[in-house]
Amino acid sequence: MTTQRNPIAGQAAIAGLGHTKQGELPGHSAEENAVDAALLALADCGLGPGDLDGLIACKSVQGQGNDVSVGQLLGLNLPYVQSLDYGTCNFSLHLAVMAIATGMASTILLTYGANARSGRFDFGKPMYGADMASAAGLVHIAGRAGLALARHKYLYGTTDEQFGMLAVGQRQWARRNPNAIFRNPMTMEDYLAEPYMVEPLRRPDVTMISDGGAALVVTAAERARDLPHVPVYVSGIAEYAGVRGEHNPENLMRPWLRDSAQAIWARTGLKPADIDVLYIQDPTAVWSLQMLEYYGFCGIGEGGPFLAEGHTLPGGDLPLNTHGGQLSESYTWGWMHLVEAVRQLRGQAADRQAGVPEVAMYCSSHGFVKAAASVLSTSQEVGA
Amino acid sequence: VSENGMLAPVDHPLTGPFWTAAGKGQLVVQQCESCGELRWPPLAGCPECRSRETSWVEVAQSGTIWSLVTYHRAFQAELEADIPYSVAMVRLDDGPYLVGRLAPDAHASIGDRVTAEFAKVNGVPQLRWRAEDSPAANGGSDGKA
Repeated sequence: MTTQRNPIAGQAAIAGLGHTKQGELPGHSAEENAVDAALLALADCGLGPGDLDGLIACKSVQGQGNDVSVGQLLGLNLPYVQSLDYGTCNFSLHLAVMAIATGMASTILLTYGANARSGRFDFGKPMYGADMASAAGLVHIAGRAGLALARHKYLYGTTDEQFGMLAVGQRQWARRNPNAIFRNPMTMEDYLAEPYMVEPLRRPDVTMISDGGAALVVTAAERARDLPHVPVYVSGIAEYAGVRGEHNPENLMRPWLRDSAQAIWARTGLKPADIDVLYIQDPTAVWSLQMLEYYGFCGIGEGGPFLAEGHTLPGGDLPLNTHGGQLSESYTWGWMHLVEAVRQLRGQAADRQAGVPEVAMYCSSHGFVKAAASVLSTSQEVGA
Repeated sequence: VSENGMLAPVDHPLTGPFWTAAGKGQLVVQQCESCGELRWPPLAGCPECRSRETSWVEVAQSGTIWSLVTYHRAFQAELEADIPYSVAMVRLDDGPYLVGRLAPDAHASIGDRVTAEFAKVNGVPQLRWRAEDSPAANGGSDGKA
């Protein structure tokens, strides 16, 4: 077998999307939210549960919504069923593409659901029991993300005004999105007037946990062409796992994001200038700053000045998180980024439609250990 | 069980030796008996050479602040009384990176040289960092008696 640079390019496509209201959904379990979104995603592409031959369920951070609990509510026995522990949707999408490419399944439902907000899940509690960092008071993701940002500011002179362009910019996009939780105006003055939560991070730099479900239907390219919407092809996928974790030098800077970046560009033959709309999973704005740099949208250390130039804002040449991201739209463990990327490529983003994009990219990560990236396009040739 | 027992793994077999040493004013980290690598945070084996043979060794109580944050919100009830408090990631002169609290009355910035001190908080030893040119408090006092 000869080795192709990017054998999956254009083989699978996202055909359907669905999501619940995002915010607070008391009385709905994580599984119910996942299945509500799944039924909407199936309806979106004119399919029913009986048309599926695969299910990939993504568990919430709390471990809810696995394949068995979702499969039971959908009433399905299927040839290919999996649960993933990692959110962001990128890992689920990659597994679906691989299952389709290998013939394990041809039409796969991807689900995520959570009720962490109404369930009052405590994100400040050490997630893996007592550990050495929480003994020092380093709790909540804002602590570690804050250390990374403070280091970035020290090394490169990044200012609060430059970094604040992420939160302020996400809000500008969210104001055009009826699904967004935070739609009130937030100017740079408003942002700078917010007190520090974990200095150098302010409250608007960190996501607010929300309830909700999101789902996608991924299918083989030839099948997607028979369905109602323009197929959104998966042009490239890449991951990299820095699972040495804290035993990597300077792991708070998440240096292994660079390895995922090198892989996605090498496989697809694309470069940052080819990306029309960009999505970065942003539980904290620090993730966006890091990934803009590691994926080469600007140089290492140049994220601050790059953001200040306004590239990522509405009307800019690199629209970023056009739904408002996790900072302003909803948490949803980054799943809504892919939902929005598909909407933009279909031309369905209404007031926030960023022209006629042909190529979208989604970069995400799992905490301080994993990186993933996907390139999507309405053209089957992209990345091939 | 101390009030911050949930946050400080003093009884855990993997981390217990750190607290025992800290109670005696010593700063210790793991060292691989096979390749000699100093290791932090504690791990059941060596990620460099895969050996499971491990000792705890004393290291110099000095280093440089790699990064620093200040908490203005308590994410756990145990931390309420400490607000605001600062946490530093320190690169030890002997190599490993160690996270620890900045001494409550100390001021420091990234790049500053720091030395370790050990206080007892609710009966549990707590590692604190202090900039080398900032005056020491009455060391070892029960800061939150």
